[in-house]
Parts: sequence; C-alpha cells; structure tokens
Amino acid sequence: MSPQWLIARKEAGELLLSGRGLAWLLGASLAMSAFALLLVSSTELSLLDNAQVVYDMLGIATALAALLAMVVGIDAIGGERERNTLIPLLLTPLRRNQIITGKMASIVIAWVALFVVALPYIWSVASTGQNLGAGLLVTVVLGTPVILTFGYYGMWLGAGMAQLVSAYVVGLLTLMVAASPLLLGPALRQSVIGRIFDAINPFSAAVNAYDAVVIDSMSLLSQWPGFIAAFLWLGLTFLLARSRIRHLTV
Amino acid sequence: MKQVQANANEAKNLLSVDCLVLRRGNTTVLNGVSLHINSGEIYGLLGPNGAGKSTAIAAITGLLPFTGGQIRVFGQDLIDSTQAVRRHIGVLPEDAGFYSWMTAPAYLTFYARLFDSNHSPDKIGGLLDLVGLDPSSRQLIGAFSRGMKQRLGLARALVADPRLLILDEPTNGLDPRGRRDIHDVLLHLAAEGVAILMCSHILDDIDRLCSAFGIIVKGETVASGTREDLLSKAAQGARYEIFLEAGDGKELAAVPGVTIASHEGNRVEVSLAAWHRPHETWARLLEAGWPVSEIRKYGTGLEDFYLSVTDTDINQERAA
Repeated sequence: MSPQWLIARKEAGELLLSGRGLAWLLGASLAMSAFALLLVSSTELSLLDNAQVVYDMLGIATALAALLAMVVGIDAIGGERERNTLIPLLLTPLRRNQIITGKMASIVIAWVALFVVALPYIWSVASTGQNLGAGLLVTVVLGTPVILTFGYYGMWLGAGMAQLVSAYVVGLLTLMVAASPLLLGPALRQSVIGRIFDAINPFSAAVNAYDAVVIDSMSLLSQWPGFIAAFLWLGLTFLLARSRIRHLTV
Repeated sequence: MKQVQANANEAKNLLSVDCLVLRRGNTTVLNGVSLHINSGEIYGLLGPNGAGKSTAIAAITGLLPFTGGQIRVFGQDLIDSTQAVRRHIGVLPEDAGFYSWMTAPAYLTFYARLFDSNHSPDKIGGLLDLVGLDPSSRQLIGAFSRGMKQRLGLARALVADPRLLILDEPTNGLDPRGRRDIHDVLLHLAAEGVAILMCSHILDDIDRLCSAFGIIVKGETVASGTREDLLSKAAQGARYEIFLEAGDGKELAAVPGVTIASHEGNRVEVSLAAWHRPHETWARLLEAGWPVSEIRKYGTGLEDFYLSVTDTDINQERAA
C-alpha cells in the first residue's frame, strides 16, 4: 500500500468515523433536507421550474462540499501542527508532495461521501428527471476541481497562518464571497463587476456550467471555458499549497 | 587504504554536526553547534532553557533549514539525502502529539507502514512490551496518561529499527520507575549499536546514560567530549563543604591549596587548587588537628561542571 493511500485512509477514517465527521455529514444532510422540504412544500418555490430546482440543489451540494474541503484542508496542516501531530509525519521518509497527495485524497473521499449523501435529495427534488443525469455529470466533472481547489486553498491557509482560528475565518469569508453567485440576482451578475467577478471566480465556473447544462440543456462539452478556468484554479492553488508546505518549518 | 579507513570511520561515526549555524531573520539561533556520535554511544545534549537544543535537533532531523555548517548522517550529507537517512532515524520530539482516536497498536502499525518497515502484530506487540505498554489493550490514545504517551512516542521512534535515535526530553512526565525503565531500554539499544542523541534537563539521566555529552549555551557548543574528559576537568574546580566542631573556619585559608569561597560559623565552603588531590588534603587537615566533623562534595560532578559552564556565561552577560 502506498504511503499516500495510507495517509488518505487514516485521514478519511478520522474524518468520517469520528464524531466530528459524522456531525459534518449529519449537518449537510439536515441542510439539504430543509432545502428539499422548502422546495416541495412552499407554494411559491414549488412553482419553480424543475431544472431550476436541480440546479439549486447541485449548487448547495457543491458549496457544502467546498466548505468541507476547505475545513479539512486547513485542519490537515494547521490543525495537525497545532495538535503537534504534524512533526512525526514530517519526520517519516515521505516527501512532502506525498503527504499533500495523501491528505488531498482524503478530501476526495470526503467529497464522494457527501455526494452520496446528497444523491437522494437531488433525486427527490428532480421528480421528472429533467437533465438529472447531465446535472450529476457536470457536478462530478466541474464541481470536483472547484471543491479540490478549496481543499488546496485550505491547506495553504493552514500552513501559512499561525493561528488556526484566523485560517478558518479567512477561509470562510473567501468561500462566502466565492459562492455568492448562488445568491446574487441575474441583474447584479450581468453588471460589469459581476461579469469580471464571474470570469475570475472558480465557483462561478462551476455554477455557470450547472446553469447551462441543467437549465439551458446545453452540452457538457460546450462548457470547456469553465472547465479550463476550474482546472487553472486547481493548478494554481495546488502550486501555492505545495510551495508553502514544502517550506513549512516547525 | 585511506578510503577504507574513511569508510570505517563513517561506519562508526553515525552523526557529525560541524559548526552548525541557523539564523531566523536577524536573530542567530545557533552559532556553532558541533557534536559527533558513534555507533553504540549515548550522547547527552545539555543547556539552559532557550539555549537552542530543540532547534539543533530540528535542524539535525531536517525540519529546519540551517544557514551554515554541515550535518552528516551515516556519512551522507543531510541536505542531499534527507529522505534516505530518515528511514534509519527514530525521533522523539518534545511535546509530540498523537492521534487520540487510535489505539496504540494501530498507531504504531500506521507509522511502521509509512517507514515501509515490518508491521507484523508480533513486532508491534514486542515494541509496546519493550516500552512498558500493554500490547493487548484496546484503550484509545486519547485516554493515555502523559507518561504512557511518552512511552508510546519512544515506541514510535523505534518502529523502523533505527540506527540513530534522537530523543528530546525522553523521560518527561515519567515517574521514577518509568524513568528507570526507559534508561534500561536506552542502554539495551546502545549495547546493540544504536547511536543515541538525547536532550534532557534531568542531569541524573545524562549522568547515568551518557558516555559523552555537550553543553550548548546561547546556540553555541561551549563544552563537548567524553564523560571522563569533561568530568576530570570538572573535578578540578569542585567545591566542598567542611563542617568544624569548633574554631573559626576562616583559618582554613592558611591550608595550602584551599581557597575559601564562603564561610558561616563552623560551616566553610572551599575549593581546591587543581594540583591538590582531595583525599590527601583532607588527610593533612586531620593530621594537623583540625576538628573536622564532616566533609561534603557539592552535587554531582556533572552538575558542578554544568553549573560552572553555564554560570560563566550568565555572569559574563550580567557584567556586560
């Protein structure tokens, strides 16, 4: 078994089997339950187009997963450093790249777990099944790099900030700003600032693709600009996190 | 022939640190730390709080980049082969953390696999047994006492059968029985050829275990050598307390070789000149009819030496 996989298994076990991890999944499940209930029980919201409902649910699942990835990323480096468990890991013969890969693999596992939890809710609101398959596919293809971007961003924050609490606050604020397209009205997003923000925001890359594929029934391949943007962000945050962790001193 | 000799020396000399310098910003944290440890040797690293012992260990283990000097481990330059040499180094850092949700066997198995070392239940059980933990216990590490965690940390350091063991305060948090157990483990490992570098504030640990030691003051090695060499130097400056049954202790200053450091009634604190042997001097005192009731040597030789080396530095600082 490769050392990366050993670390991933250890981290995923810690995350998913501990009280903290189960609380995360329960919290995500409750949030999606509440949203799904609102969509089917509210008179106004129940009139929404089915595709719009699927889009909203996919956006929420992606935002929750990005939050989970960022928190896990911060804790994987900053949390371990604060608990003095990082030093023994750095003293093993592993290269720091291997440690980063192992920790990122655990974020992938957490994302898969959350996606599985989200599936019944997505299915329940997508009663007619309109574009459901395409929606799930675009979430996997474009949501995954965006979620991992926030995982690397979390690692970068965790490695660079002396205080864990500061890393969480900065991370949360960044995610709130990045995920704002989910909440902003069309007029604001069509403004000049909104367009610039959309162009540089990795979260926009994903939700715009969700919009195009699920609501406008466009093909997944037509979303290649968003795909490129998401992977550019993924590459950039990976390089930043790797650089900080390679130069991390204790 | 010279090459053969060099290889033989490298095989024996497992860790060489020469003139290690480490700066952080404008602060010089280490400014000339040197030490050499041979196979089977236990080397004690001493120094006051903040002297740079833990920083030196962090640099030696490759956790902190250093700005000057050289570190050679198993004959290889540390910078060129950090990952390769780490496979054969066991480290117990000060304040090491543990995964509190794991059991001790699972924790050791995880680290053994990271080191690509034997992780059979027999090996893991044997290690736990060696450090005095119950191999069959299912207790989570989070419920361990400080002493138990310290023992587990030592087991983790041993998980890959290291040739060089680096221990920062290994007996921290241990009761007297625990300390003695760890002493026995370390002596056993040294007898098997493992080189051990240990930092400790407990002079008794160093005194009992180490065949060589060095003292760091303000990031600089101020004394280093074998135990015999250093303690023979220490003996020259040793101090003694002499209790008299009667008379004024001040008059002892007339005795050749005796210098009075302080006196209070019939209790006199003296030091002997380097060329005077203590037992001969005491015999002369008794022959001369001095009413001596008791003579005590101050502390251990190591303690005297440590205090004299570190006091000198502190006094110089105060004078400046």
